Amino acid sequence: MRACDAIEVLARHRGDAVAVCALGMAANEWWAATRSEDSFYMHGAMGFAASFALGLALSLPQVPVWLINADGSLCMNLGCLLTEASQGAKNLKHFVVDNGVYQTVGGLPMVNEGRTDYAAIARAAGFSRARTIEALDELERQLPGIAAEDGPSFTVLRVEPEQGFLRTPPMTYEGPEMKYRFGRALERRFGIQVFGPQGY
Amino acid sequence: MVDVTAAIHGELTKCGVKLAASLPDDWVAPLIERIAADNQMRHVRVAREAEAVAICSGAFFGGVRAVALMGATGLLTCTGELATLNLRHQIPVFLIVSQRGSIDDHRIYQEVQGRRTIPLLQVYDFPYHVVDRPADIASIPDAFETCRMQKRPFVLFLTRRLVKGEETA
Repeated sequence: MRACDAIEVLARHRGDAVAVCALGMAANEWWAATRSEDSFYMHGAMGFAASFALGLALSLPQVPVWLINADGSLCMNLGCLLTEASQGAKNLKHFVVDNGVYQTVGGLPMVNEGRTDYAAIARAAGFSRARTIEALDELERQLPGIAAEDGPSFTVLRVEPEQGFLRTPPMTYEGPEMKYRFGRALERRFGIQVFGPQGY
Repeated sequence: MVDVTAAIHGELTKCGVKLAASLPDDWVAPLIERIAADNQMRHVRVAREAEAVAICSGAFFGGVRAVALMGATGLLTCTGELATLNLRHQIPVFLIVSQRGSIDDHRIYQEVQGRRTIPLLQVYDFPYHVVDRPADIASIPDAFETCRMQKRPFVLFLTRRLVKGEETA
C-alpha cells in the first residue's frame, strides 16, 4: 500500500471530520487528496500534531477529529498516547502513516528500524481500539467501522516507503494565513467563535 | 490573608478559561489541583510540557479559552514548539509558569534556568508579566487579553513570594 493511496482512501471516508496533519508527508498527501481548508497542516512542532488534535477534539466534542500522524512524528512524542488515552475523547481518531523512514528528508531509516509495533504501544498506553492495516482493500473494508466507532482509536497504516525525497508539493499557504483560513472554516461550519469581534 | 490559589483560579474563570493542560512543578501544583477539582474546566494532565502548548493551541481553534501550567524548566523545553507552532501561525497561548531560579529559590538545580529564562523570552519576543504580590493577581484578565491581541505565547510568572509567602527558602 502506498501512502498517497491510503490517504486518498481516508479522504474519501472522512465524512464531516476535521483533520489535523503532522508536518511533511502526512500534511502534503492530505492536501493533495482534499485541498481542504478545514484541516490544519502542521509546519513545525514535530511530534505535537497529536496534542493539537486532542485540544481540538476536547473543545469540539460533537465534531469528529481525525489526526493524520506519521511514524517519525509519533516517535518524537510517544507520551502523547498516554495523554490521549487518559482523556478518552470519543470523537478522536488517530491514524499513523508508518512507512519506516523519514520520507521528507530522503527516506532515511526510522529509529529502531522495522522492529516497532505502534499498535501494541498504543494498546499498552490504554487505547482499547488499536490495529494495524497493511493493504488497501483491508483499509477500504475497515474504515467505515473505524469512522463509526467511538474513539479514541488508533490505526496504523503500514505503507511502502517511496524512493528518495518527498515529491508531493505542500499546501499553497502557511503561517498566519493557515490560522485564519482554518479558524474561519471552523467558524462557518460549526457556528463557533474562534476570533473575537476585532478579528484576533 | 488572600488564598492565592483561589484568587488565580477565580481570575482564570473570569477570563472564560474552560480548559487547562498541565505538568506540575511544586510551586504551581496547588493551583493545578484546584483546577482539576473544577468541573467547569477541563483539565488535561500531560507527559511533557510542549503537549500542553499544543493542546491549548488546538483548543483555540475550537473556540475554547485555555491555559498551560508548568514550571520554568518545563517552559524551556517548549521553546521549539512555541516558535514553530505559535509564532509561525500567530496562535496565542497563555502560560502560567513558576518563576523558578529566582534569588529566593535556593534550589541548586533551578539556578541555571533562573538566570536565563527571561533573556530567552526576550530573544523570542514573547511577552511576559510577573505576578509577585496578591494584589497583582487582578491583572490576569488584562494579561490574557494581551496574549490574544499579541497572538503569540504570553508567560505569566508566579513568584516564590506569591505562592509560598514570605517564608524563608
